Amino acid sequence: MVRRNRILALLVAVLLLQARPYGAAGAKPATTPGGENLAIIVNQSNPIDDLSLKELRTVFLGERSHWPNGRRITLVMMDQGLVERNAILRDVCHMSETEFGRHFLQGLFTGEVFVSPKTLSTSIGVRKFVFNVPGAIGYVRASDVDETVKVIRINGHRVDDPEYPLRLEARATK
Amino acid sequence: MRSRTFAPRPWAVAHATGMWTRALLLAVGVLLIPRPGTAQQTGPAASGSDADKQTIQMLLQRIERLEARVTQLEGSKTEGARLETASAPAPFATRAAAGPAAGPPEGPQMPSAPPQTQSSEPEQEAANLEPERMDMSKTLLRIRGFGDIDFHGTDQQGSTNSFSLGQLNLFVTSDISEKFKFLSEIVFEAGPDNFYNVPGGNRNQFSVDVERYLLQYSYNDYFNLAFGRYHTAIGFYNTAYHHSTWFQTTTGRPLLFQFEDSGGILPIHNVGVSASGRIPSGGLGLHYVAEIGNGRQSRSPLTEEPVQNEVDENNYKAFNLALFARPESIRGLQFGFSGYHDKLMPMGQPRVDETILAAHVVYMVPKFEWLNELVLVRHAPQGSSQVFNTPGFYSQIAKRFGSYQPYFRYQYINGSDREPIFPDVGRIEGPSVGVRYDASESVAFKAQYDYNIARHLASYNALTLQLGFTF
Repeated sequence: MVRRNRILALLVAVLLLQARPYGAAGAKPATTPGGENLAIIVNQSNPIDDLSLKELRTVFLGERSHWPNGRRITLVMMDQGLVERNAILRDVCHMSETEFGRHFLQGLFTGEVFVSPKTLSTSIGVRKFVFNVPGAIGYVRASDVDETVKVIRINGHRVDDPEYPLRLEARATK
Repeated sequence: MRSRTFAPRPWAVAHATGMWTRALLLAVGVLLIPRPGTAQQTGPAASGSDADKQTIQMLLQRIERLEARVTQLEGSKTEGARLETASAPAPFATRAAAGPAAGPPEGPQMPSAPPQTQSSEPEQEAANLEPERMDMSKTLLRIRGFGDIDFHGTDQQGSTNSFSLGQLNLFVTSDISEKFKFLSEIVFEAGPDNFYNVPGGNRNQFSVDVERYLLQYSYNDYFNLAFGRYHTAIGFYNTAYHHSTWFQTTTGRPLLFQFEDSGGILPIHNVGVSASGRIPSGGLGLHYVAEIGNGRQSRSPLTEEPVQNEVDENNYKAFNLALFARPESIRGLQFGFSGYHDKLMPMGQPRVDETILAAHVVYMVPKFEWLNELVLVRHAPQGSSQVFNTPGFYSQIAKRFGSYQPYFRYQYINGSDREPIFPDVGRIEGPSVGVRYDASESVAFKAQYDYNIARHLASYNALTLQLGFTF
């Protein structure tokens, strides 16, 4: 009876932990005083640890097609209208939805962009895709990160740093 | 009743010392079962004891599989990290101490549950050794279309106001593999295509042209190859807009970059090999394009296809080298130059050396654009000291106000009347002014007025209304 109760208690504890997964690097993430952060995730096999915001922009605009290890970059975007996608367009691409679409269409047309982004509708889908595709890069809410993917630093800041530059909501202008 | 169900657990007796470890793994196993509720649903229906035993057995099996999988992944991570860090060069920050990295499967796969879709280590190694495979179960082709419908009129003598169908452009691409891609533009167009300025040509007949036909190989950001028929990297406009009017702010290309079969003076298309990529240059953002191909047919007689798709008129190959910069500090700015050389064999004339020098400065951001290009076409007939220079330029500026984008362009070409390759061009110049209205993300309406001044011809006005779209 005692053993059974312990096991049940353990199960409940694990379930509770699973409901609030932590970052891949053991980071305790997610929410800073300004709101929830947006984590940039790559495949665990990707040697990249840190990207500057400028480098991230070149990646998200398709201006870089390969990682340093030779893998082709596969960009994963979330569906139009989702707050995560809006944050990327606003803080990384500095483009509206229309401008972003046109940018990629023209890039594909000229041949400068090698592959168009994959579009997925849920953070679970993004995580699974990034897990499965070695060259993939995507984004999810920091609270949606788990150990199947690798969270990279931006401008040297971890996703739980107060100075981390990517947030779901726009920062208030000073 | 329930305690009895759990009481005679054989696994608990057998593994008493490692009970907590097993319990933890059991908990993880429970979480990883896709539908944990199913086990619970069977409980009330079946006898409790049998159901629990079955569940425990299932979980034990699951734990064993997961333990084996963890061992396998730990082994492959070390190997994968060693292989990948060895080949990692500069620009991005990489893991300093070559931390663990899973051996990745080759190429994109469909998303699926992480633990179930990673291939085994031998499979991964086999995939890595087999670099390019075609998945026959996938549909590889992607088609995007562009088109335009126009109404135009001029006050030139002999011309009529007409509705006209613009080019119907099917942009077909295919990701053949991680490194190879196919790209083509298949264009249906009305008019005497492939025949320049032929009197009596059937202007209302449709014909098909494969305007671009490329197999691209992308090794990395610094080295890409393209084989087939491409748009020559002379200047900026030619490789920025290709055959889509929808992308262009104006209703059409500048005179300088008119297609060969519309009287253009440049070798817009070429058949051969093109190499391109970035040049390590920090924030300057240097790029190169190096091309070698058949070049253009000598444009004499004018009734023949100017693009040498199958047979070159001589053994000499045309080559082109372009360098341009996109400074990181000023996004949208691009400037560069290109040099092109070919030997032409006009009928009944000595061979002509053709050199084309081009320079451009372009600033393009979503709400503003300013394009400036200068081209010099130099023809030097062999055995003669005479050299014919044909300069040309255009400058185009546009600013977006919401869905409206007014623009202005001035263009100029000045060819000699004794030019050996295009004596019919002469001098033509003039301003264009217009507005583009984006009715939706995919449909644009444009209205453009042109005033054309030509040597030996009366000046004339022209108006073009265009509905351009992508689908």
